[in-house]
Amino acid sequence: MTLRRGLLIIGLLTPGLGLILALIGTVVYIAVSQSFGFYSLNGISEFSTEFWSKMVGRKIFKRSIQYSIYIGVLSAIFSVALAYPLAIWLRKPFAGSNLIGAILKAPLLVHGLVAAFLFVNVISYHGILNQFMQWLGIWSEPRRLQNDPNAYSVLILQTWKNMPFALLLLTGAVQSISDDVLDAARDLGAGKWDRFRRVIAPLTISSMQAAMVIIFIGAVADFSFQVIAGPTNKQSLSQLMVSFKGRGDWHSAAVVGVSLMVIALVGSAILAAVARIIMRGRIK
Amino acid sequence: MVAIDIEHLSKKFGDFTALSDVSIDVQPKEFVTLLGPSGCGKTTLLKLISGFLEPTDGVIKIGGLDVTHVPPEKRDTALCFQSYALFPHLTVKENLEFGPRQKKISSSERKARIDDVSEKLDLTAQLDKLPNQLSGGQQQRVSLGRALTMRPSVILFDEPLSNLDAKLRDQVRIEIRRIQKEYGLTAIYVTHDQAEALSMSDRIVVLNDGRVEQVDSPERLYYAPKTRFVADFIGDANIFPGEVVGAISNGLWQVETGIGSFSVTALEAPKTKSVSLCWRPESAIIDTSGIKAKVVHRAFQGHFTDLIVETNETPYRVQTKRTDAQEGDIIQFSVSPDEVILLDKDT
Repeated sequence: MTLRRGLLIIGLLTPGLGLILALIGTVVYIAVSQSFGFYSLNGISEFSTEFWSKMVGRKIFKRSIQYSIYIGVLSAIFSVALAYPLAIWLRKPFAGSNLIGAILKAPLLVHGLVAAFLFVNVISYHGILNQFMQWLGIWSEPRRLQNDPNAYSVLILQTWKNMPFALLLLTGAVQSISDDVLDAARDLGAGKWDRFRRVIAPLTISSMQAAMVIIFIGAVADFSFQVIAGPTNKQSLSQLMVSFKGRGDWHSAAVVGVSLMVIALVGSAILAAVARIIMRGRIK
Repeated sequence: MVAIDIEHLSKKFGDFTALSDVSIDVQPKEFVTLLGPSGCGKTTLLKLISGFLEPTDGVIKIGGLDVTHVPPEKRDTALCFQSYALFPHLTVKENLEFGPRQKKISSSERKARIDDVSEKLDLTAQLDKLPNQLSGGQQQRVSLGRALTMRPSVILFDEPLSNLDAKLRDQVRIEIRRIQKEYGLTAIYVTHDQAEALSMSDRIVVLNDGRVEQVDSPERLYYAPKTRFVADFIGDANIFPGEVVGAISNGLWQVETGIGSFSVTALEAPKTKSVSLCWRPESAIIDTSGIKAKVVHRAFQGHFTDLIVETNETPYRVQTKRTDAQEGDIIQFSVSPDEVILLDKDT
C-alpha cells in the first residue's frame, strides 16, 4: 500500500471511526489518569497508586463488584432465556404475531427511570400487587416488596427492559434458519429441546452472544433501577462511583469507573466464551 | 405384510382440498414414485407419510402400525429433502451421526454405520468438511447418507434431484436406486419429472388435483394409461375423441376419429360409444397407405425425427426413424391396433 493510499484510507475513516475512538479514548484516558492521581480537580496532580490500594481494601468495593456482576450476569441470562422461546414462537408469522412482537418490544421505548417508578408503584406497600393479593385472600396483610435484599426487583426490571433487545437480535437469527433444516432435525428424531440445543442455539450463537454482551455491559453498570428499586444494603458500582463523586473524591470515583470498564470488558468476554462453549452443540 | 398402507387419506387446508380419498399400499423393498404436476398433492402426501402434516381423514400404517398421529421424530421414516437440509454448523460426519445419536445408538454402532454409509456413498474423504465446502452432488449424497444411517423402515425422497444439473442428476438417480436396492429399503420418491419416475420406479402413483389417477408399473402407465390425464402426462400422446363404429372381430374394434379410422384391440367392449382414443407418436409407422397427414414442422432429434403433422386441420405428433420427410410433404401412416388405447370419454 502506498503512503498516499494509506493517508486516503485514514482520511476517509477519520470522521466516523476517528470520532468514536477520540471520544472513547478521551474518556478512558481521563478515567485511568484520574484513578492514578492525575487531573485532580481539588489538589495536587501526581502519580499515585494510593487510590487503588485504598479502594481494593474497602469491603464496600468488593461487595459492589459482586453485586454488579450478579445483576449483569443474571439479567443477561434471564433476558436471553426469555427471548429465545418468544423468538422461536414468533419465527413464522401468524394472525396477530406482528402485534405481539410490537407489544413485546414496547419496553425499548420506555425510559428505565419511568419503568422503575411504575414498577415501584405496583409493588409498594399499598401498591396494586399487595391490594390484589389481599383481595384474593392469599395474603392477610400487605408485604414489604420494595428494595428487596436479593434485588429481585432490579432483575425483573432489567429483564423487562432488556428482553426486547435480545428478542430483536434473536428473532432475525432464528428466522434465518430454514424450515427444512428444522424439519430435518425433527425427522432424525430430535424433539423440541434437542432441536433447540443442537440446531437453533448453535446457528444463532453470534446473535445470542451479542445480546448477552450488550445486556451484561448495560446491566453491570446499572444506576437508575438500582437507585429506585434496588436493595438499600447494597450498592452497584455505578452507585458507588456516583457516591464518591458526590463527596468530591474524583480519584476514587475514577478507580470505580475503571474497574467497571474492566469488569464489563472481561465479563462480557467470559460470558461470550462460556455461551459459545455451552451452545455450540459440541457438548453431547 | 405391506410396508406402508394408506387408507382413504384426505387433507384439507381450510376450504382447499389438497388430497382426497387417497389409498395406496407399498410393498417392502419397493420403490414407489409419487408423480404429478405442481400442486397435485404429492408433497402433501409425502409430508403426511413423514408426519409433518396430520390428515383430515384416513389412516397411515407403517409396518402394520397405525402412525397417523405419530409425530415425525417418532416415526420409523427418514426424509431426503429437496434442499438437502444439511446442518450447516456440523461436519459431514456430525451430520451423518445426528440421527443415530438422537436414537441413542451406541458409539460403536454409530461408527460402524458411518463407516459403512460413507464408504458406499464415497464420502470418506469428506467426513471432516462442512456442508458449504461440498458440491451439490456431494451434499445430496450426505443427505442420503444421513437418512441411511437411521436404518429406517421407509426412506422418503422429496424431489432430491431438482437442484442438480442434468448430468449429475443421471448419476445420482442411478446411485439412489443402487443404494435403495443394496439396503433393501422401502422407498417413496416424489418428483414431477416423468422421465425420472419412469426410469427409477417399481411402481408409480400418478396424482392429479389431489386424487390418484393410476397406480401402476412404469411400463403399464406408458403403454396402458387408464385416463386421459395419465396418457397425456406420461410421455407424448396423441389423443382424439372418437366414436366406436363396431366390432371388426373378437376383441378388435373400429373407431372413427377426426383424422381417420383406427382399429383398436380391446378385450372388453367399450363402455360407451363415445370414447377417447390415444396412441404414442412413436407407434406411427410411415408407409404408403393409411392416414394421410401434412408435415407442418420437422425437428431432427438424433435417434428419431419429430414431426408435427396435420390432418383435417387437426395437429398431432408423429415420431419416426426416417429422416426424409420434409416440411410440406404429405405422409401416410398407420398404427398397430395393439398400440391404440381406448380411454373413457369422461376421463
